[in-house]
Amino acid sequence: MDKVVKGVDLEISPVMEAADRFITNVGKVIVGKKDPIELVLVALLCEGHVLIEDVPGIGKTMLAKATAESLGCTFKRIQSTPDLLPSDITGIHYFNQKTAEFEFRPGPVMTNILLVDEINRATPRTQSCLLECMQEQQVTVDLETLPLPRPFLVIATQNPVELEGTFPLPEAQLDRFLLRVKLGYPTEDEERTILSRFRQENPLDNLTSVVEAKELLELQKLCRQVYIEDSVCQYVVAITRATRTYQGIELGASPRASLGLHLASQALAAIRGRNYVLPDDVKYLAVPALAHRLIAKTETRLRGHSLEDIVNEVVSTVPVPVEE
Amino acid sequence: MKLDWRRSILYVTTIGMGGCWLYTIITLLNKQVADEHLSTIGLLLLYPLAFGINKLLRQLQWHEIYLRAISWLVWVIGMLLVLKIQLFGGLGWSDSTWLLALPQAMGQIFYTFRPELLILVSTAVMWWLGRRLAYQRMNFVTSVSEFQFGLVILLITFVTISLLRIDLANSVPVILTFFLFALLGISIAHAQEGTSWLSGINQGHWAGLLLVSISLILILGLLISSLVTPDLLQLVVAALKWVWGMILGFIMKVMAFIASLFPAPESAELPPVVPMPEPEPSPGYHAFTIPEAVQNGLRIGWTTLMAGFLIFALWRISSQVFSWLRRKLAGMAGAEYESLPGAFRADFLGLLKRILTRLLRLRLSLRLGRHPSSLLSEIASVRQIYRQLLHWVAAGGYPRQTSQTPHEYLYTLVDLLPEAHVDLDFITRQYVSARYGASLPTEDELHNLRQSWHRIKRTRFKKRGSEHTQEQEGGLNG
Repeated sequence: MDKVVKGVDLEISPVMEAADRFITNVGKVIVGKKDPIELVLVALLCEGHVLIEDVPGIGKTMLAKATAESLGCTFKRIQSTPDLLPSDITGIHYFNQKTAEFEFRPGPVMTNILLVDEINRATPRTQSCLLECMQEQQVTVDLETLPLPRPFLVIATQNPVELEGTFPLPEAQLDRFLLRVKLGYPTEDEERTILSRFRQENPLDNLTSVVEAKELLELQKLCRQVYIEDSVCQYVVAITRATRTYQGIELGASPRASLGLHLASQALAAIRGRNYVLPDDVKYLAVPALAHRLIAKTETRLRGHSLEDIVNEVVSTVPVPVEE
Repeated sequence: MKLDWRRSILYVTTIGMGGCWLYTIITLLNKQVADEHLSTIGLLLLYPLAFGINKLLRQLQWHEIYLRAISWLVWVIGMLLVLKIQLFGGLGWSDSTWLLALPQAMGQIFYTFRPELLILVSTAVMWWLGRRLAYQRMNFVTSVSEFQFGLVILLITFVTISLLRIDLANSVPVILTFFLFALLGISIAHAQEGTSWLSGINQGHWAGLLLVSISLILILGLLISSLVTPDLLQLVVAALKWVWGMILGFIMKVMAFIASLFPAPESAELPPVVPMPEPEPSPGYHAFTIPEAVQNGLRIGWTTLMAGFLIFALWRISSQVFSWLRRKLAGMAGAEYESLPGAFRADFLGLLKRILTRLLRLRLSLRLGRHPSSLLSEIASVRQIYRQLLHWVAAGGYPRQTSQTPHEYLYTLVDLLPEAHVDLDFITRQYVSARYGASLPTEDELHNLRQSWHRIKRTRFKKRGSEHTQEQEGGLNG
């Protein structure tokens, strides 16, 4: 087939090949969770941040660490605790007695991949210090604004069940995460494989990087050129707007959510070897990209409807752009 | 090579059909406007000429705007040549009178329609038609649509001729020629899509079969010409006039009835007329009057609006009648009917679609700086086939849910038509690629797509373990 529109004749195989390498590499550690791994990669390819959320012991931190290990980028980890201070993340100006001058000691945020483990254990004050970093890829310390290295990605984990000693993430913070990924329990066979794989040694120790930082930046540029037809673009907007008028929702998705869904769809299409976006891509990503940004009404929560159910319901009411 | 020959013949037949109805209209206008001073054949030659020149221009990989400009420049030259030769043959080329005749005629457009204007309009229309044909993909649907459109134009022209009591020579040969071209074109287009007796195992003897079919058509034409006499045509026209008179009478009666529902104004004694004093003209004051040109423009606009409403009303009535007929036909036991995508509704929708496509092309041209005109028609073909598939399955009682994507709907389709899963998958893939990926299918892919669609139409729906054939199998023609 010849191509009519610019972007459709885009050579997308580098993304597909890199995606294959990455998924295979992370798959050495995380057993049978191809979809969550793919979603993490989607976020990486559109410079989005990922919130990995699930019950303890599922492999959230393992997935985050395997992702970081698979990328040839600088990696820092923050273990969130209630006494963690913003300066512990951003860095601090300290007085050097030898030179008799104030010097800046950068915090762990000055990295490519930042793993914020158990993010909801940090206080809202500390959580908020990440807002500027995540949105603007810069950090301001003592009136001095410093750019963060590129690529900059935050992979955060949180446990939604255990609430004692935790601080729910504010909406502004949640909105800055491109995708929320849930791992879910492994199947019986997968669990057996996990046991056999981790019996001798931790496969994470042998993991090597398969995608370099420079390559990742190139792939990100490539993903942004993936063609998205006007009607599909309109479909993205329609879904986001539908969340704002849905009865059971108090706060719908923001325009940032539309943009995120748009970019994520482009990245997913590229990962799957297509240089154009399908409505299927948008539908597939609707829950991971939108659910965490919504606030359900009390009665909706009391009826036991999860945000994922609501997003699915909203998507089922929006017409897909197909011939009539 | 065979395919190219067929396409060439399709172009010839389309030009032939167009030539027939154009001949009738131009002859009529020639009689009314130019007292038969113009050579109709001479004017008509511009139609194939326009097709040929635009076809050649299309080979050049230039920007659309340049091609368009060159094409219309050639038209201007051609039109001026026709004007000089047909109306001012006696004048020398250096004499500017013939050049000034056209602007003068245009200046008098609101008062009289001069032969110069007839040449201007008719050559412009023919040039546009020729250019359109040069860029058009010839297939079965196009042939049928051209036939239907030509037939309607011919009928309208003949009714007008009858109403004006004009004696038009060569009407019977023109109609016969029109049908000859139409039958030939439609049969070849049908064969090209692999659904007629000219395809399949007979494809090897295509040339022979074509000659036989032409001979048959000619013999049939002769037979028809012996039966269709001017008297018979007069009878048909008289019948049409009678029907039209009945409709008009009915409308008038309805209007009169509606008018009678309104109370008549009470007659009142009018006060005696008091002579008004003559207004004193004040210096510098001029009464506001609408210029005549504006008045004429408003008149034309008003007439067009009213004509538009009338056509729309007629279309609504006729579409209701046709849909009732279709329902009746569908209700007949064991009957199979084939609804051709022609008629006024399809033509009207086609016109709207073309306008939209043109706007889209313009937008794409602006965005990309390249000319995708020929590319979009192929994408449109893929989308058309998928649309037909959707309609066909929906008519069988399994419509697509509005929130289902083509891939999701594919699961439903495969459940319904398991034996056609390969074709369904192929059509869905092609559609998705063309619709969302703006990918242009190749000639082979388009051909395979049509074949797949024809195969699907012949399959049966599977429902809860039992099978049933869809009522209007093959109902929507590709």
